[in-house]
Amino acid sequence: MGGVCIVATALEGTLARTSLELVGGARALQPLGLEVSAALLGHGPGLTAAASELHRHGVGVVYRCDHPLLSAGQSDAVLAALQPVVARVRPQVLLVAADTVGREVAPRLAARLRAGLATECVQVEAADGAVVARRQVYGGRALATLVVQARPAVLSVKPHALDVPAPAPVDGRVEDVDVSIDAEALPARVRQVLREQAEFGLEEAQVVIGGGRGLGGPEGLGLLRELAQLMGGAVGASRPPTDAGWVPVSWQIGQTGKTIRPALYIAVGISGATQHIAGVSGSRTIVAINRDPEAPIFSVAHLGIVGDYREVVPALIARVKELKGT
Amino acid sequence: MDFALSEEHRLIQATVREFAAKEILPIAADLDHHPRFPAEIIARAASLGLLGLNVPEEYGGAGLDGLANVIVQEELARASAGVQAIITVQNSLVCDPILRFATPEQKRRYLPRLVSGEWLGCYCLTEPEAGSDAMALRTRAEQRDGQWVLNGRKLFVTNGLEAQLAIVYARSEPAPGARGISAFLVEKSFPGIAVGRVEQKLGIKCSSTAEIVLEDCRVPAENLLGGRGEGARVALSTLDGGRIGIAAQAVGIARACLEECVAHAGTREQFGRPLRAFQAVQWALADMATRIDAARLLTYRAAWLRDRGERCTAEAAMAKLVASETAMWAAHRAVQLFGGYGYIQEYPVERYFRDAKITEIYEGTSEIQRLVISRHVLGRR
Amino acid sequence: MEIIVCLKQVVDPELPARDFAIDPVTQRQVREGRPLVISTYDENALEVGLQLKDRVGGKVTALTLGPAAASGDAIRLALAMGADEAVVVDDPQAPARLGAAKARLLAAAVRRLGHFDLVLCGCESADWVERVVGPLLAEALQAACVTFVSRIEQVNGTLLVRRLADEGFHLVEVRPPAVLSVTSDESNRPRLPKVKDIMTARRKPVHTWPVAEVAPQAGEEGPLEVEVREVALPERTTRCEFLPGDPGEQAAALVQRLRELKLL
Repeated sequence: MGGVCIVATALEGTLARTSLELVGGARALQPLGLEVSAALLGHGPGLTAAASELHRHGVGVVYRCDHPLLSAGQSDAVLAALQPVVARVRPQVLLVAADTVGREVAPRLAARLRAGLATECVQVEAADGAVVARRQVYGGRALATLVVQARPAVLSVKPHALDVPAPAPVDGRVEDVDVSIDAEALPARVRQVLREQAEFGLEEAQVVIGGGRGLGGPEGLGLLRELAQLMGGAVGASRPPTDAGWVPVSWQIGQTGKTIRPALYIAVGISGATQHIAGVSGSRTIVAINRDPEAPIFSVAHLGIVGDYREVVPALIARVKELKGT
Repeated sequence: MDFALSEEHRLIQATVREFAAKEILPIAADLDHHPRFPAEIIARAASLGLLGLNVPEEYGGAGLDGLANVIVQEELARASAGVQAIITVQNSLVCDPILRFATPEQKRRYLPRLVSGEWLGCYCLTEPEAGSDAMALRTRAEQRDGQWVLNGRKLFVTNGLEAQLAIVYARSEPAPGARGISAFLVEKSFPGIAVGRVEQKLGIKCSSTAEIVLEDCRVPAENLLGGRGEGARVALSTLDGGRIGIAAQAVGIARACLEECVAHAGTREQFGRPLRAFQAVQWALADMATRIDAARLLTYRAAWLRDRGERCTAEAAMAKLVASETAMWAAHRAVQLFGGYGYIQEYPVERYFRDAKITEIYEGTSEIQRLVISRHVLGRR
Repeated sequence: MEIIVCLKQVVDPELPARDFAIDPVTQRQVREGRPLVISTYDENALEVGLQLKDRVGGKVTALTLGPAAASGDAIRLALAMGADEAVVVDDPQAPARLGAAKARLLAAAVRRLGHFDLVLCGCESADWVERVVGPLLAEALQAACVTFVSRIEQVNGTLLVRRLADEGFHLVEVRPPAVLSVTSDESNRPRLPKVKDIMTARRKPVHTWPVAEVAPQAGEEGPLEVEVREVALPERTTRCEFLPGDPGEQAAALVQRLRELKLL
């Protein structure tokens, strides 16, 4: 009875990477001595492989919820599917990825279960029998430590905040859960998925060049793209260029938007609003190029260049080209 | 005494600051380098209610007080003195005298059009032979067949090129000097009014400055503004408001200088230190901030007096004198602080330098302001 | 359509770092003397609500939970932008409360307001970024829930909303009553109020309810409280190394340093 149950999803056919990150979170809770299980949501034959992947990472029992409505974005269907799992497993801790669906499901599930709730966590651990979660607050300027004594506890974990753990295979089993969802009764239903040309691998790239308001317009992005291509990286943006429509929303890096942790992040014309810094502070090396030496971005940057990006970036491109040539 | 702005005044300030920063500032340099009438900005300003700030709601205006007007004018001028010039003329030189002196029929005919931006207005006082001594004007108004017929030339008319309505001062009475003058509401579509020469200027380039030529211009009798022979009264009252508007413009230009200097002093390094680490620079910034605040307070006081219906001729002149000389001085300091960058068009301070100069000239030169103030001090009116 | 928009004022999230401090007793941000602004996405929520009202008619009520003294600007702006009336739930404790507690009080206030078709709120608050108020309100009010919505269209009695999603956008059909949390996009940039409306906003009704009057009833509790043990400022481990010289020299120095760090 009880245990840690992760909400694993294969809403797009294959196991989400974030589900494995949750397995990492569950491992961090090992001191509580709880068994780890997973509710696996999705539809079709892909679920079998997804379940094996969970077993391979140490998840014993996988409760398979297979239903055609368990597809991208169907939060109400996910909630409906989780009810019987939760009734059966009676988990002490539920871990949910704070993605499009998880952001809606985690709080609503917590309300229904009268659970303790911590969302957008970047770290989970156990201490003195309690769940301890850490999350960024005040736009990433501070880190809050929350102690969740209540059981059950529902925690949502920010995508890409936790590492995918190394495999630790177990002989698990799959239990099928009878899912019945009345499509017509769902108060919200996804009618269409509009895929956006995401900047290729923004979240996975080891080098990311980010552009901000200081670019002055969409034209500046060409320079950043050229530099990114030379360095084998991806281009992203802070909120102002996204809001202004210079770049697709999927390029946005920050609190609202993608969290990145590349080896090298180069922020160009980005003042360093807390909203943006929250999404890049995990980068190993941060370089900032900005005209304003007082820009807050320099307080998180390791290397700083005060200057006009229109002069600095072309010089950088030339220099990198030179290097590649030799 | 209460120096705090009301919640409404603060929200108006924040709103216009955002409008100016997001919609005017990005094109301000271009409007100066490639002068054109910024129709899209004026339309937006109209939609926000900035063309009829003091016009009551019944005529479609915002019904604000004069203090709100100077708060708005400062914010507009901070972004572009040229854009502000267009707007302050509409408010202080056109809507204001209509509000104060027009008949209800005239108000109903003209104010809604001016407030909505459908019509722009201009103010025709200065003549080739009557500048500082405006009351020496020679344009004549004669009654013929129950109409007024105007003949003369007006110079340096802001918005003259685009305006559909002109407030024209002309000599209608046999009495000499100020007592013989009347004011008229002249529509551009009336026969006999035409735009003459359009001037090329040092600054505030996106606002037009034109000659208005009146040749047997026929004006219906009901378009007299104020009574016969009351033109001087209309003009002098309007001048008080106009000067307060220019004072606000000057404060806005001076503030632009200060803000650019503060930013530049933070980024620009000389001898291995940012400029702001030099005491000479610190003191210059302190002086600028202090003089700007003094100018702003004088401007607020003049607006406040006028709102109370009190006489404010000397106070308006003081505000305009101090504010315009502050703007010119601050722009001079700003260009010097920027050095070579202050002299080139890539940076905005050379524009402030050119824009600032006009504030010492129009709506009465600094010399005229001193004359007005000294009469007040010496007790001669 | 009856639309309720939740908005609140927070300490300016872009406050310079030197003015940012955590109160050691309350474990919350020090607010005294700091400028307040409307929380980042709340104005977008209001704009979405006003646009919908402009299209289909109805009424927009601005609802804020916070110390009444620190809510005036938000209310005044909301009314000037076009909200029809405003409710302030005067709660001096609000800045210290977590989202679960806030959602409980807001739900009670919405119930007191009576009928609604839509409740809109920002997708996250600029301070604690929990992203829970929308979903928890939906649960408490037994309404449909969609988060990170940027646009709303009414189609035959239902709503078609555009939701920001991991892979792009979802068009989600929602049946009112619904609680939607709103994110920004180019279609919902907050309008500037007309100066006339700033003045006439004074005439619109503003109701102030002491928080005690909107205490939730038993059975409306929602999630349990969690303990905030600590709010800590991360140790500044990095010092920015500024690269001097003209752009060419700066670029060369950067490339050199990146090579040393084996990043190039």
